[in-house]
Amino acid sequence: MDEAGTSNIFYVPTPSLPSITPPDSYDRFRSQSVPLIIDNGSSNLRFGFSTSASPQSSPNVIAKYKERKFNQSLLLFGDAIDTESGAKSQGKTPWEGDVLLNFDAMEHALDYACVRLGIDAEGIDHPVLMTERLCSPLHSRALTSELMFEQYSVPSLTYCVDSVMSFYHNNKPISGSTFNADGLVVSFNTASTSVIPILNGKGVLSHAKRIPWGTQQSTEYLLKLIQLKYSSFPTRVTSVQASWMLHNFCSFATDYPAVLRSLKIPANMRAAERIIQFPFAIPVIEEKTEEELTRIAEKRKEQGKKLQELAAKSRMEKLAKKETDLQYLTSLKEGKSENKREWMHVLQVEGFDDDAALDETIRKLEVDVKRARKKDPDGQDDVVEEPSFPLIDVPDADLDEEGIKEKKKQKLMKAGFDARARARREKEKEREEKEAEERREEGERGNNFDDWAARLRREQETIMNKIKERGRRKAALSDRKSAAAQARMKNIASLAADERVSKKKRKAGAEDMFGADDEDWQIYRKLNAAAVSSDEEEEFNQLRIIESKLLMYDPTFTAQHTHASITSQRSALISAFRPQYEEGDIEGSARIHLNTERWRVCETYFSPGMAGVDSAGLGEVLQSILARFTEAEKARLVKNVFITGGPSQFPGLQERLYGTLRPILPPEMHLGDIVRAADPSLDAWKGMASFANTDEFHQVGVTAEEYQEWGPERIKRWWGGNCNSAV
Amino acid sequence: MVPPLIRPPRPFKNPNYTKNTNRRTKNLKTVLGQEREKERIERERRRQERDSQAMDIDEVKKELVEVNEEISTYLSIEAPPSVLPQRHYCDITGLEAPYTDPRTGLRYHDKSVYELIKNLSPSAAKDYLAARGVNPVVR
Repeated sequence: MDEAGTSNIFYVPTPSLPSITPPDSYDRFRSQSVPLIIDNGSSNLRFGFSTSASPQSSPNVIAKYKERKFNQSLLLFGDAIDTESGAKSQGKTPWEGDVLLNFDAMEHALDYACVRLGIDAEGIDHPVLMTERLCSPLHSRALTSELMFEQYSVPSLTYCVDSVMSFYHNNKPISGSTFNADGLVVSFNTASTSVIPILNGKGVLSHAKRIPWGTQQSTEYLLKLIQLKYSSFPTRVTSVQASWMLHNFCSFATDYPAVLRSLKIPANMRAAERIIQFPFAIPVIEEKTEEELTRIAEKRKEQGKKLQELAAKSRMEKLAKKETDLQYLTSLKEGKSENKREWMHVLQVEGFDDDAALDETIRKLEVDVKRARKKDPDGQDDVVEEPSFPLIDVPDADLDEEGIKEKKKQKLMKAGFDARARARREKEKEREEKEAEERREEGERGNNFDDWAARLRREQETIMNKIKERGRRKAALSDRKSAAAQARMKNIASLAADERVSKKKRKAGAEDMFGADDEDWQIYRKLNAAAVSSDEEEEFNQLRIIESKLLMYDPTFTAQHTHASITSQRSALISAFRPQYEEGDIEGSARIHLNTERWRVCETYFSPGMAGVDSAGLGEVLQSILARFTEAEKARLVKNVFITGGPSQFPGLQERLYGTLRPILPPEMHLGDIVRAADPSLDAWKGMASFANTDEFHQVGVTAEEYQEWGPERIKRWWGGNCNSAV
Repeated sequence: MVPPLIRPPRPFKNPNYTKNTNRRTKNLKTVLGQEREKERIERERRRQERDSQAMDIDEVKKELVEVNEEISTYLSIEAPPSVLPQRHYCDITGLEAPYTDPRTGLRYHDKSVYELIKNLSPSAAKDYLAARGVNPVVR
């Protein structure tokens, strides 16, 4: 990722707290009717007096937050919201997209502006020039006017369209003459993008068009793309970070399909990517030192030994007890007196029912003792004695009942013994065969290595193919319309049908003959699609054995050729698009790679359909607007194409616009270079300020008396303002 | 440290003005609806005006066209839907997408991307579609 010299890795900026600056002094402006200029933007509020060189600017957000530490409710505006982490979620802006709706927030914003400017007179005693949206809804205008006139008692209020004022600022007429420039203004705002043709210094607002796509929507789209691409990202990506990424890494492509075609190649995609490194935390692993590990191992061994000793001791004890019991009982038996009754009595005291029980217990004890003796480490008896079966050969007639029973028992035992011996012999034979096979293979390997390797590789391939076939068959079965699935249904239907049993068999009175033939049972395999049959496991085992042999002996067969790595291989394209870091790489897993998104997000300005907004793109809108003018007017318009607004600072925009306009104009028409405002964010305010200093300003405002007479919706028609409900 | 409370007085505000609070903060839908109504009324009114001036049929038509062109409200300014044919871009990578997956409806660039799509969960596929603006309702 790191090229020589330039690093592709960028770190997400940490937010910094704002500083408190004291408000301005009002003294300069007191009791002078210097116009107050307010550029009411969707993202930033810019305000100041018209004689200042540049405005004060602040994000247009207000938050009423109840602080937990001192339990106070705070009113925070703009940057100050960053000081309280919980306040951000409570932030309200006066704008909803492009429409001014929340007037409480608007009031607070104006309060803030006045406080910052240090106004302490009764009411604002300055004529005010404010911006409104292109063809702003009358409701918004009405409430703003009401607010300004009634709450703040301004003497006069003028509305203008911000992009036209920015155009004015960049095409200022020579002092004294009227403003009569021509041009096509493309204004990029927070929640919309508008195109306004200007002829003779007057905006032809009836022919203007607005696309509902702006920075706000672009940021959301970028955030959505990132969330889709990195669905298991360790940290949450906020929209602030997304807008930072948008501003720094995204640009317009002059020819989007060409860019895509070049990005198709994984090498190009890797070269064009930008890596954003998010903060991550390295988990602290408690590494035990060497001695600790050995100590733990020793402890465990000792415990094991102790247990073993305990077990041996208990065994010895049991054995001793059994021996003593045996001795006692045998002595008892020997000391059996002739008196039957006494003997019975003694037996009952011991807990035996009769003679036979005593004998049995003695025999059992003897066997146990012998076995226990044998299990002791000293005295291994490997010799398998062939137990004798004397009674088998004796014919039945000679034996009594007991004898016959004995004989049956002995026959069973002999059969068991024979079977065991046979099994043992077979196992040995198998072992010998396997050894012989291995020796043969070694010989082959030694003599003719290539052939052997080739043979094994072929086997591996066939097994891999079989596995793939199986997988394909399984996938085919899950699809209802495939041939395999239909064949399966046919099988089921034929099984369930009654005509399966042929007439002949029915006549003969035979039952359903399913199962008589072993092949019939295969049908269960065919029907049951979901079972992982044992065949698969066997194949995998075989594959593993072959692969291990190849890995061991064949130097050219590496881990990459094994079946496991081939199936989990991701294509070069996908790994360039979204590189996969290893499991433990915490730093790597907190990275975002931006490659196609850098151009994809900006392309939405030209085709909002990509992001689901059903609207014409910028190119189409330009074309349709220009089509409504005559050729002469068109020529005048395209000589001076002007872009303004914060988002116009995206790199590549001017080339793209030129490339979009050139084909739709007749070749002989001169298309001027696309001009960007000198200061895209502040030029609207500056244009307003310079306009406010001219005489014309005083003629176009609505004074307080006119407001009382006409109501809040009426404005005067002039070149920089809207013309809906205009006089 | 307690931040210094900045609670300056606001003399520029008119204390007599009472906000008509129940009239505030209409939501966007109602505002746009109102705009539409106003536009309609305005159009009607202008048509009436022209009619009452009693012109020829042809001239009336021309006037109507002019009238329609002059009215510009927030809604009439909005760009129309696109008439150009849509270009298909891959939902996953953003490259050109000649193919569409019939099961989920996602567009994809080549077969390696298709392998990825096959392993997507239905909710992930729906998220990708929503990014494009396609919201399958019944699935």
